[in-house]
Amino acid sequence: MVKEYLGRYWLIFFVAAVYLFLYIPIAVLITFSFNSFLYPFQWVSFSTKWYWELWHSSEIWEVTQNSIIVAVSAVILSLLLGLSFVFYSARSRLRFVAPFFYANLAIPEIVLAVGLLSFFNFFSVPLGFTTLIAGHTIIGLGYSIPILQSSFAEIDYSIIESSLDLGATIHQTFFLIIIPMMAPAIIACSLLVFTLSLDDFIIAFFCTGETAQTLSLYILSTIRTGITPTINALSSCMLLLSSLLVVIFCSFGSRVRVL
Amino acid sequence: MKSIHLEFIKKSYNESAIIENLNLTVPSGAFFALLGPSGCGKTTLLRLIAGFEKVEAGRILLGDEDITNLPIHKRKVNTVFQNYALFPHLNVFENVAYSLTIRKIPQDVIKKKVTSIIKAVHLEEHIFKSIRQLSGGQKQRVALARAMVNDPEVLLLDEPLAALDLKLRERMLIELIDLQNILKTTFIYVTHDQFEALTVADYIALMNHDGKIEQIGTPKEIYEFPISTFVAKFIGSTNIFQGTLQLQNNEVRLEVPKLGSFLVMVQEKKKWMLDGVTAFMSLRPEKILLSIGVREGFANRSAGIVESIVYHGRSTQYNIRLKNNFLVQVFEQNEEHFEKEVVDYNDEVQLYWQKENVILLER
Amino acid sequence: MNIFKQCKQYFFEDLPFFFSMPAIVWEVIFFCIPIICIVGISFIKNWDVSAFSGITLFHYIKLFQPIYLKIIVRSFLLAIWTSFLCLMFGYPLAYYLACKASQSIRNILLFFLILPLWTNFLTLIYAWYFVLEKHGLINDILLSLGLISAPLVMLHSLFAISIVTFYCYLPFMILPIYVILEKLDRTLVDASQDLGANMRQTFLRIIFPLSIPGVLTGFLLVFVPAFGEFAIPLFIGGDKYMFTGSLIEHYFLIARNSSMGAAVTSLSCLLVLVVTLFLRWSIKKKFSYIEGRK
Repeated sequence: MVKEYLGRYWLIFFVAAVYLFLYIPIAVLITFSFNSFLYPFQWVSFSTKWYWELWHSSEIWEVTQNSIIVAVSAVILSLLLGLSFVFYSARSRLRFVAPFFYANLAIPEIVLAVGLLSFFNFFSVPLGFTTLIAGHTIIGLGYSIPILQSSFAEIDYSIIESSLDLGATIHQTFFLIIIPMMAPAIIACSLLVFTLSLDDFIIAFFCTGETAQTLSLYILSTIRTGITPTINALSSCMLLLSSLLVVIFCSFGSRVRVL
Repeated sequence: MKSIHLEFIKKSYNESAIIENLNLTVPSGAFFALLGPSGCGKTTLLRLIAGFEKVEAGRILLGDEDITNLPIHKRKVNTVFQNYALFPHLNVFENVAYSLTIRKIPQDVIKKKVTSIIKAVHLEEHIFKSIRQLSGGQKQRVALARAMVNDPEVLLLDEPLAALDLKLRERMLIELIDLQNILKTTFIYVTHDQFEALTVADYIALMNHDGKIEQIGTPKEIYEFPISTFVAKFIGSTNIFQGTLQLQNNEVRLEVPKLGSFLVMVQEKKKWMLDGVTAFMSLRPEKILLSIGVREGFANRSAGIVESIVYHGRSTQYNIRLKNNFLVQVFEQNEEHFEKEVVDYNDEVQLYWQKENVILLER
Repeated sequence: MNIFKQCKQYFFEDLPFFFSMPAIVWEVIFFCIPIICIVGISFIKNWDVSAFSGITLFHYIKLFQPIYLKIIVRSFLLAIWTSFLCLMFGYPLAYYLACKASQSIRNILLFFLILPLWTNFLTLIYAWYFVLEKHGLINDILLSLGLISAPLVMLHSLFAISIVTFYCYLPFMILPIYVILEKLDRTLVDASQDLGANMRQTFLRIIFPLSIPGVLTGFLLVFVPAFGEFAIPLFIGGDKYMFTGSLIEHYFLIARNSSMGAAVTSLSCLLVLVVTLFLRWSIKKKFSYIEGRK
């Protein structure tokens, strides 16, 4: 009886087991962020004091601010560069250049990171925010150009033609017709690039000097020096933020071809 | 080739019944058409026979065998899909050979069977091409060959010609008829196009919007002797008059308000044909004679004004506005190069028809 | 049509080059040139001292010593092993999501699948630290159940590294496969069964072959980053085992030997590219019918 049950539903059990596997570490992380004891591996009692510390840590706020500034800049740049490229290369031979942007993602990120490091060192560019944003934009372009291009290609060209036919200039057509039609793709892109930038570790590791600290680097230094549950609290908050972004992505952008 | 019996079939979707208490017998070896408007449930019926959907109540019999609970791959019934459903990663030969490969039939037998069926559908030159390289008509034939190579007892065709253009469709219809004549397999052909049904079918089952079968019969029976106004209107065009039945002195008349009383010939008197009941009269446009002058020898006559004339080459369609404001369609065959009577807009014309050419309907 | 032609002419033929340029310029400056830099540096004798210290193949030759080869092979094996595990565990999941789950369950499961992807990488590594540590979750459970008497040391082992790598990259394998399975024409499955194939045969002959492009994308999405991975060996492996990524990090940031680091980087990049191109080329030939959309 059990065997028959197993035979029919094995796939569901399997899926459940994998999801459990995916979430046990996360569940542990969140649970222990409410641990009252300093040493994070033993549960003592429930307490929200680490969240309190998190809230009051100016260092963490500064670091978060940095990360968000970098992320938003990367998003804006990726979108601007991506949209202008996609739109203006649409009907010319330049659109065949687009696949080359895949290379940004085809090589391991560490190669890009050390490449940028050497490049900046050679031209004596001080490492800091700008270098970080430059690197993140490259990765952003690797995602945004394919996504935006396929979204643009899906637009029936006769819609653009009918807009022109009805008297709109090309610019009006662009802002009134094309951008709204590409909205899901644009939103999906923004969320994707934002998340990538926020979560990125490798480029930050190699390309920021002493001046700039991002969230990833902050977590890194804390792990190295001494673990406190504040990190758990920070991680839980970041998880919450990610959840929010995923929800937005799933409702708007999931219709877009990302992969 | 086997027959199909459907007994008391019930199928619902989202808690509303699409098909309820449906009974149908498809004679073995027949080219059987399931005709009906979109959404009437004919495709659902086909899918039930194929096994893609499960019936909620009722039985499906293939010959004598109850296949109601048999899974799809065990039924000796094959389907030709509307979108062909050809496997993109296999070439023409491999697609057609699929059902034989599955059953581990030896290679030489497969080769013989596949080549012969591909010849039968005239695709020899394309036998090793990939699916992408084929046109719509060629893909349709591959789908047909693939379903036929298995020697199924019954072949189900789900609007197979819907995606083809008119000329190709007409050609394929003839090819289908020839194929069925040679193979003598039972064909069940689903379509919403009455022209297709009339062309290919030995028998037609017409379904209405409620998932019920209105009438089953040969194309001629359905066209000439419809049993309801729905059937009369769905197949070809017709003029439906509503009125009260008058039975006097062995004559049956339909009294149409503001128009007059018309003589109807009834082949067999039915129970509902009582004096004073509401009834309908179906009169096909080609059965009406249009004339400016008076004609003798017709049992029924009416008059009206010509409202529109549409020239169709072989025939001309006239729309005549009668006394009771009813618009009647009349088809006149353009028999003569130089017409004897010229009919023009706003002319007053006489309409004549015989009592045998009218069908009396209850609903 | 004159004004449209003018508009078209102006914006689609005259300006495009100019307005498309920013992206291309950016790409060249921040991607192409850095890569060229790296490749170039790898041939310089001693980059950190002087840019003109002379051209040599010395660094590459050095890489063929057993110590370095061992590291490169180890990274390669880790990447392949992780990809393999991800495929074994990920395919059934993708299949369930695409083919068997109802719409509402699918949305929920997709949400929970994408979430780890969109979570900070270090957060996930840190979480595993928790689970695997001497006083962490697994040891706690095993000890309290009485299955072991002393805590297992799981961190700082190859086992731990491979588990965590597998964990981090699993969603990358699942998503492309899910996407391609979801787009699969269901009537093909109907047709296969109609022609006499049961579910198992349909899967082996129709569903799986048609999903191979997705499998390939997933494989590369796992293999490429896993090969250059250095954070996981660093934190979970305690820097005990050297991988290609750790080697690169060592040379650039610790030993300050950019030339050597560049050589390792170029070689890894080349290896990854060779694998990628080879796989794409061999699959492309057989599956050219799938519209190439990434």
